Amino acid sequence: MEIEILQGIISLLIILGFSPLFAGLINKLKAVLTGRIGAPVWQPYYDLKRLFKKETINATVSSFVSRISPVINFVTVAVAATMLPIGFWKPLISFNGDIILFAYILGLARFIQILAAMDIGSSFEGMGAAREATFALFAEPIFFFTLGSVAFISGLSSIYDIYYSIQLNNISYIVFIVICSISAFLLAVTECSRMPVDDPNTHLELTMIHEVMILDNSGIDLFLYQYSGYIKLFIYAILEISFFYPFSAQSYLVGVMIFVIGSFILALTLATVETITSRFKMKNIPQYLLFATAIGILNLLIYTFTK
Amino acid sequence: MFEFFIFILLPLISSIFCYYIRNLRVQYSVSLGVSILHLVLSLSVFLGYYHADLPFFFSVDSLSKFFLLILSNVYFWVVLVSFSYLKRPVTSKAQEGKKYYFLLLNFYLTANSAAMLSNHFGMYWVAAEATTLSVAPLIFYYRNEEALEAMWKYLFLVSVGIAFAFIGILFLTLSAKGSLLEGKQLFFWEFIKNAKELNPIWLKASFIFIFAGLSTKIGIAPMHSGDIDATSNAPSPVAALMSGSLRLTSLIGVLRILQIIRPTSSYEFAKIILIIGGLLSLFVAFVFMFKVNNYKRMLAYSSVEHLGLITLGIGVGGLAFVGAMYHAIYNSITKVVLFLTAGNIHSRYKSREVSNVTSALRTMPITGWLFLLSFFAISGIPPFGIFFSEIKIFEGLLFSDKPVILFASMFFLLFIFINMGKIIFTMLYKKGENDQLEAGTERFEFIHLSVILLLILLTVIAVISPDVIYQNIINVTKDFGMNL
Amino acid sequence: MENVLSILFCLSLFYVSISSRVKGYVTVLQLQGLLLSVIIVIPFIYDFSIFGIILPVTLLVVKVFLIPKYIKKIILDLDIKRMIEPTIQQFTFLLLVIVSMVVIFVVSNILSQRTELNVIPFASGFSAIVIGIYIIMFRKKLIVHVAGFLILENGIFLFGTAVASELPMMIELGILLDVFVVVFLMGIALNNISSTLKGFDVTALGRLKD
Repeated sequence: MEIEILQGIISLLIILGFSPLFAGLINKLKAVLTGRIGAPVWQPYYDLKRLFKKETINATVSSFVSRISPVINFVTVAVAATMLPIGFWKPLISFNGDIILFAYILGLARFIQILAAMDIGSSFEGMGAAREATFALFAEPIFFFTLGSVAFISGLSSIYDIYYSIQLNNISYIVFIVICSISAFLLAVTECSRMPVDDPNTHLELTMIHEVMILDNSGIDLFLYQYSGYIKLFIYAILEISFFYPFSAQSYLVGVMIFVIGSFILALTLATVETITSRFKMKNIPQYLLFATAIGILNLLIYTFTK
Repeated sequence: MFEFFIFILLPLISSIFCYYIRNLRVQYSVSLGVSILHLVLSLSVFLGYYHADLPFFFSVDSLSKFFLLILSNVYFWVVLVSFSYLKRPVTSKAQEGKKYYFLLLNFYLTANSAAMLSNHFGMYWVAAEATTLSVAPLIFYYRNEEALEAMWKYLFLVSVGIAFAFIGILFLTLSAKGSLLEGKQLFFWEFIKNAKELNPIWLKASFIFIFAGLSTKIGIAPMHSGDIDATSNAPSPVAALMSGSLRLTSLIGVLRILQIIRPTSSYEFAKIILIIGGLLSLFVAFVFMFKVNNYKRMLAYSSVEHLGLITLGIGVGGLAFVGAMYHAIYNSITKVVLFLTAGNIHSRYKSREVSNVTSALRTMPITGWLFLLSFFAISGIPPFGIFFSEIKIFEGLLFSDKPVILFASMFFLLFIFINMGKIIFTMLYKKGENDQLEAGTERFEFIHLSVILLLILLTVIAVISPDVIYQNIINVTKDFGMNL
Repeated sequence: MENVLSILFCLSLFYVSISSRVKGYVTVLQLQGLLLSVIIVIPFIYDFSIFGIILPVTLLVVKVFLIPKYIKKIILDLDIKRMIEPTIQQFTFLLLVIVSMVVIFVVSNILSQRTELNVIPFASGFSAIVIGIYIIMFRKKLIVHVAGFLILENGIFLFGTAVASELPMMIELGILLDVFVVVFLMGIALNNISSTLKGFDVTALGRLKD
């Protein structure tokens, strides 16, 4: 029992510790693919350190929402992180139905961030908040149709159990998992404001979605926002990688190896996608998200009717 | 093997021949020779002088014998007048169309014969699609904008329709699951023999899909639009071919599936669908006759009307079925006559608008009178054939269990007759401002002769009513399991 | 294995309903042709015969090389712009596609309880038929209509493998030939439409009415 708790804590620490590294890896790979040298892999850590040292300034018109939002944001994302398995370790929080908690605790993070963005009263941030809310509306079904269909098939409702139960002895199951991972990848891209949906490196406020919401934050607040953004990216990466655990024998060491290799491949994929695609037009984003949902629905249909 | 060669291979060979020999006169003679051979053989098969025994996926029964005769009759007359038709001046762009005219005509004969003689659904589908392919470039003969649009629409609509018919055929395969037929080939006769074992749900679905899909080609409402455009913009001989035989080629597919469905419990359902299709076509013709202002389109709607009548007769069954069979043959001949005379008017007035055609009777008396006569023929005035077949259909309708249909169709037919008459009398008698065309200078041409011969043929068949035809139609009804 | 390929086929249908370029349609046609040839070649892996391999190879050549190449040639020759010009929003279109697909899957599952059939290829094929018709209905460009028609044909083909009807090879080849010639004729017609009617979309076709 204590061992399990210890394992859970270690998993959480891994997520908290390595998430900036993952983001740095993506940026580095992207730079290499576009022919630049790029910032070092550790750059996100330097950024965070710099932000941590700076003073926090809040707008005079802002209310308490702006002050508590970064903290809540960070905490909720961290709680979500405690529900994910790394290797074959049981996560800290795992009970029947935690899949719903996972979705909505991330929803809470988003909600409070949107609220804080509107709190300041800047028109840009309001616009960003509106976009974020709209696209979140379309992104949520993706999660439920993807993970939900796996849950439906296995009959389990805890994230850990679901991943644990995936078996690859059936060829159509493999295709199913591959399709699910496509859908999860699209979800990750959307939720973490990556390239085809949102450009994290854009400099024009009008074209931003996520970045515009934190324009007015600084210092420790910005630190928390940035850090929870990295964690979120890593969380979705884990969601994606976890589909491929069962290729191994169920031992911890192989699990960790798959985890490391999977992270690297995923980072490479993200970087490649960001290199070869351009950002969608704003009006095309909903159909892109619906496409991902459609994949989830297809999964569900196929599995309902072949049983 | 000999009949297979004459019916299917010979037209194909002659179509390839037409590709290499570019001389129109040679092409014409060869095509005419082929068509005469085809006519003679199909006539002797029909009369029973020759016992046909076809290989592969083809065979002959009373229905295909009958329809094949109609086809080769129509085809023969069309080819006969084609040469004099081709001699008429056209725009320089359309000259190119002449090169492929006989090639496509021969290919048309191959495809149609194959479709009518096939005894396998797959073969029928391939041949029916091939007929579309042969006719589509012919529609584009004039190389103008309207013809182009008509060709595109016809090609597209009919291809999609035929694709639907294929879905219907696949459903038929499904209906055979779990019966003796499972895993066997899609031969008509096997299905007819074991029809009772088929799954009724899939059989119904199959009927709906085949009927709806093929009705784009038959030209029954509500799928008639592509056919109307095509028939009205094609050159007159081609339009005559389409109205006279192509529509029957597609009708034979519907008849085949009906033959399968006949002994099963789904027959009532199929009957209702056919009756609805027929009545709807009459209704569409009735509505559009009020507003149509293009005489070729008018004739096309008349085709919709008559095919609707045939479908109605088939749907009601019994005596009406016999009437419908007679109607098929009379209608095909009358349509040839009508379209050929209309083609003459078109080449004289250079317009298809009714308002541009005035005092046709004075400017071109022979064509005018023939047009008037053929109008009487199509409207069912005795002694022309349509009168007798319509009477039979009406009799069948009256003694069926739904006599109400008779009143509805009589009502529609009456107004169609009035409106058609109005249009045609306007064309023939109304004095126009552009009467500069000289009066009474029309030469007696070859086309006129053929039209007169056809009208005589129509009357003779109707009046004498050869026992062979009657016997054959009775055989067809026996194949369908109907008791008269 | 057939199921797996059918799922991929469905994915290609989703892709085609959000693709806004004509090129995307051609790619999907190629992909579908490939999938179909693989589906019909599977039985021959265990039971190889030269005679039986003719059909898959012809299918591959016609659907993956000849027809897409021809369509590409038309696009190049006529200088057709690359956007497809939908008449309704892509989002609505995709929604429509999803709803139809769900309905088709549910209905075919119900039907499969009475008759023995392969639900996934059956429903995928039928979805392709419906989506092909949607494409014809909701797109303006005529070349896209041709692509929609071909998707419909592909759907019928998949559907045919699902109901396990084995037509004789001659007839299958005849069907393929027919489809090819249809596309060929449509290409010629398109060529003429672009030169005489000065347009590539349905608005150019409005002369014939009563």
